[in-house]
Amino acid sequence: MGAEAPVWDAEVLARVRHLHMRARHLTDALLTGPHRSRRVGQAIEFADYQEYVPGMDLRGLDWRVWGRSDRLVVRRYEAETELPCTLVVDLSGDLGTGETSRTAYPPLEGSKAGYAIMLAGTLAYWLHRHGEPVGLEIVAGEGMQHRSLPPRGGRSHLQSLFLQLASARPSGRADLLPALSRVGGRLKRRSWVGLITDGMEEPSRWLPALAAFARRGADVRLFHLHDAAEWALDFRSPALFFSPEGGDALAVDPGGAQEAFEEVVREYVEEVRRGVVRWGATYLPVSTDEPLEAVIVRAITGPRLEGR
Amino acid sequence: MTLGLAAPLVLLTAGLVALPVLAHMARQTPRERRAFGAMLLLERVVKRLRRRRRVKDPWLLLLRALAMLLVAVAVAGPVLSYPGGIPEFGGSGRVVLVLDRSLSMQLVDGGGTLLQRARAEAKEALVGLPAGALVGLVVFDGEATRLTASMTADHGRVDGLIDSVQPSGGTSELRRALVEARRLLAGEPGEVLLFSDQAGPRMVAEARAEISLLVGAGNTVIPFPIRGDPPRNIAITRAVYGDGLEGGQVTVRLVNYGPDPLEVSCEVVLPDGATIPIFVDVPPMGETEDRITVPTEAEGGVGRVSCDDPDLGADDQRFFHLPRVGASRVLVIDGDPGDTPTRSEVYFLERALAPWGGARTGLTLDVASTVGLESLDAEQHRVVFLANVSDPRAYGPRLVEFVRSGGNLVISGGDNVTAERYNAALEGVLPAPLRAPKSLADRSEDGIPLSLPDTRVPLFAPFSAGGRAGFGRIRGNRVLTFDDYAETESVATLLSWDNGLPALVERRIGEGRVVVWSGTFDLGWGNLPLQAAFMPMMQRLVSYLGAEAGVAAARVDAVVGERVSLPLPELAVEPIVLGPEGVPVRSRVDGSRLLFIPEAPGAYALAMEDGPVIAWTAVNTDPVESDVRSYEDVARVAREIDPDLLQRRVDLGRPAMGLGLLLLLLQVLLSLRGGAP
Repeated sequence: MGAEAPVWDAEVLARVRHLHMRARHLTDALLTGPHRSRRVGQAIEFADYQEYVPGMDLRGLDWRVWGRSDRLVVRRYEAETELPCTLVVDLSGDLGTGETSRTAYPPLEGSKAGYAIMLAGTLAYWLHRHGEPVGLEIVAGEGMQHRSLPPRGGRSHLQSLFLQLASARPSGRADLLPALSRVGGRLKRRSWVGLITDGMEEPSRWLPALAAFARRGADVRLFHLHDAAEWALDFRSPALFFSPEGGDALAVDPGGAQEAFEEVVREYVEEVRRGVVRWGATYLPVSTDEPLEAVIVRAITGPRLEGR
Repeated sequence: MTLGLAAPLVLLTAGLVALPVLAHMARQTPRERRAFGAMLLLERVVKRLRRRRRVKDPWLLLLRALAMLLVAVAVAGPVLSYPGGIPEFGGSGRVVLVLDRSLSMQLVDGGGTLLQRARAEAKEALVGLPAGALVGLVVFDGEATRLTASMTADHGRVDGLIDSVQPSGGTSELRRALVEARRLLAGEPGEVLLFSDQAGPRMVAEARAEISLLVGAGNTVIPFPIRGDPPRNIAITRAVYGDGLEGGQVTVRLVNYGPDPLEVSCEVVLPDGATIPIFVDVPPMGETEDRITVPTEAEGGVGRVSCDDPDLGADDQRFFHLPRVGASRVLVIDGDPGDTPTRSEVYFLERALAPWGGARTGLTLDVASTVGLESLDAEQHRVVFLANVSDPRAYGPRLVEFVRSGGNLVISGGDNVTAERYNAALEGVLPAPLRAPKSLADRSEDGIPLSLPDTRVPLFAPFSAGGRAGFGRIRGNRVLTFDDYAETESVATLLSWDNGLPALVERRIGEGRVVVWSGTFDLGWGNLPLQAAFMPMMQRLVSYLGAEAGVAAARVDAVVGERVSLPLPELAVEPIVLGPEGVPVRSRVDGSRLLFIPEAPGAYALAMEDGPVIAWTAVNTDPVESDVRSYEDVARVAREIDPDLLQRRVDLGRPAMGLGLLLLLLQVLLSLRGGAP
C-alpha cells in the first residue's frame, strides 16, 4: 500500500461502520449452521465409523462396539483445525461502473465495486464469526498496490480488514494474471479462497492464474461479478463508451448492438465458466442486483460442483 | 429526352443531402460519454459488427443521401420529356385527318395492309374527338384530294368516307396533302393527324416547308406512324431492253428493302406471251441486277417482269418496251447493185430501215438477188422489196403466193423495171397494171414535188404531229405510171405527185398488201433518199405493212398516278387509250395532245379502233415508293421547328417522393438492425 488509508477520515470510518453493521446484520440473518472443515482426521469431535481393514492404526479401534457387536470398526473424528480463508477482491477501474447494485454506500452506490466490497466484508465477517482466520488481497484499486492482509483471527484484524475495504476505491488495471499468481503463491495449503472479480480481461490471459491456487489445493470460489444493466447493454441513447481503466472509447448505439452483445456475453460467460471449472474452482456468477445473503448462501452451502 | 424542373429553385433543398452525411458523422462521435465496465465484451461486439458495417455503412450513407436527394428533387417537380408517342389531340376543335393511300401503304404486315391499319386508326381517332369538333379528311398519293369539301361536324359521314379510301399505286406527295389540309383549316389553328408510313427518302423531306408553314401558323401536325415491323419489300425497280446476245437482253434490277437475304422467283413475259423464268438472289438492304436474253425472234410491244413477294405486291412487276425482234425481217431484192451508193437502192434502204444495224428499230434487213426469192418464206420475211428488179417473172407465182399468204410486197420503179414483165409476173396482185415510165422533168431540173400526205390515212397518221411538210420536198423526175384504176376498198392511192400522178398505190389482198412506189429508192428518178421524210416514211411504211411496231409506234414510260401526255396525230377519229386489260381508259384531248392518268401499272396502248397502235405506254410504279424504309420523321421535323411539339411528358415528382420515403424507411430499418445511430 503506497499511501496509508487515513483511519481518522470520518467518511472512511462511517463506511467501516456501515460495512460492519451490514455484514453483521447479514451474517446474523443467515443460517448459523456448523461450518465444517473439509479435512477429516484425528481430532476431538467424533465424525463416524469405518470398517476396520488390516493395516489400519489399531489405536482407532472402538473396543466397545467390538464388545457389543463383535464388529471391528475404527472411530473417525472431525479435525476442527482452522481454515485459512483469503478474500481476493478485484477493485480495478471497471468495477467502479454499474448501476443496479442495491448493496453499497456512498459514493459507490450502484457500482460493482460497492457490491464487491460489501460481499467481501460480509464474507469476512461470517468467516470470522465461525472462527476462521480471514485474509484480504485487494487487486488494483485507487492507491492500492496489492494490499495484502494475511489470514488471521481476532477482532482487531477484522477491523483492519474492514478499514482496508472501506477505504478502497476502484481504480487502475487489475492485471489479473500476475496479481492472482502472486496471491496464489502466498497461500497456505488447503486454503479457502473467495475471488471476487468482474473478470474483464481476456479469459485466456488470466484464467491460467488459477493454476497457482490449484497447486496449493485451495478451495476457490470465483464470484464472477457483473452489472445486469451492463450485460444487457440496457442503455437508451448512443454514447461513446469508455473503460475507466483506459483504452479507446467506442461509439455504440445500444439499441442496435444489443442482440450481438447478448450473444457475446453468453460466449464470454461460458468461456470463463469452463476455465474456472477446468482449474478445479467453483464458478459463482453474481449479478449486483442479487441480494447478498443469497450469494453468501450459495457460496458456503452450495455444492462445490456448482457451475460444473 | 430532356429532364426539366417545374420549380428549379426548390432544388436548393438538395442541401438536405448533407443531413444524412452529418448524421452519419455525428453517429460516429456521439456526444454522450459513458463509463462502461464491460468494454472487453463491447470490443468483441464492435469487432463483430464492424465486419458487417464496413460494407453496410457506406451503403447506409448512400441510402440516406439518395433518399434526401430524391425528396428534394420530388419537391422541385421533375418532368421528363421525351419525343415519341402520340400526344393528346382534339383540343383545338378543328382536326384534319390525312390518310396516305400510296403504293407503300399496300404493304402487308400482321395480316392486313398498312392502309387498313391507317383507316382503323383514323376511325379510332375520329371516335376520340370531342363531339362537335370540326373534321376534314384528305387522302393522298401522287395527288392530294379533299374528301370533305370543308370542315364538318358530321363525324359519321367522315367515318364513311374513311371506309371508302382505296389503295392506289401512286407516289406519296405528302406536301400536297398538307397544302390541302392547310386550306381546309382556312387559317384557323387546328390539328393535322397524319396516318402514313412516312416511307421513302423524299416524302417527308419534300414536305418540310409545308410542315413549317403549318406549325408556324399555330397548327399541330401529329403523325400516327403506321409501319411494318420490320418493313420488308422486294421490288423490281428497273426493266429495260437493250443490245445483247441473240435478240438482245432485258436488264432487270431487284431491290430488297428487308433485313433478310432472299432468293426471289421471277419471270419475264414478252409481248408475244413467251415466258422466261429466273431466280434472283437479293442481299438484305441491297439490290441485284440480272440480264435475261431475248430470243432471236420476238414481237414488239410491252413486256413484263414479275416476281413473288408476299409483302407488297403492287411493285412486284415492271413493264418495259420491247421492239420487234427477229421476225420483223425485211428482204430487199437488189435488182441493181449500182456502182456507187447513190445509185444503190439497197444502200439507202439499209440506212432508212435498219440504222445502227437495226438495234433501235428492231428491223433486220436481208439483202439478196432474185435468187433469194426461191426460198421466200412469209414466216421469215414480212416485207419484200423489189428494188429495180428487171424481170420477176420467174418468181411471179411465188410472190403472188407470198402476198396471198399475208406477205407484203413493195415494188419501186427504176431503169430496170419493165411494165410488161411485172404485169405478167404479178397479175392479179398489182393495184393496177403498170405502164411504161414517164419523165416528169429533166434530170437537171428539180422535178415534180410530192403532194402532202393525208394524215387521216393510217399510214401517215404519225406525221400529223410533225414531219408532214417534209413530204413536199420530195421530188420526182421520172415515174412509173399505171393503167387507169378505180379506188376501191382494196385499192387506194396513198400518195400522189403534184401533177396528179399516183406516187404510192396500195392493194390489199387478204392479210397481204402490194404497194407500188412509182419513183426509185435511190437518186435515179428523184431526190427521195436525201429528204428528211425518207427515213420516217420508209420505217412507217414497213411498220404499216406489219413488219414491226418498233419505232413507228411511239414509246412512252409513265408512272402510276401521274398524268401521261401523248402527242396526238391529226386524225378524223379520236384515238383511244386501252388499259392493261384491253379496256378503254378515260382520257381527254388537250390541243394536240391526249392526256390520261394511269391508275395501275401495265401496258397502255394508244390506238384507233381496229387500227394499229400509235403509241405504247409502259406504266410502272415509282421505284422510290417501293422503298418502305423510314428516312425522316414528321415528328422530328415538327420538333425541329417547335421543340415543344410532340413531346411526351412524365411527372416524376410523385415517384421520386415515394422512392425517397421508401429509402428513408429502409435506412431506418437497416440502422435499427445494425446498431448505427
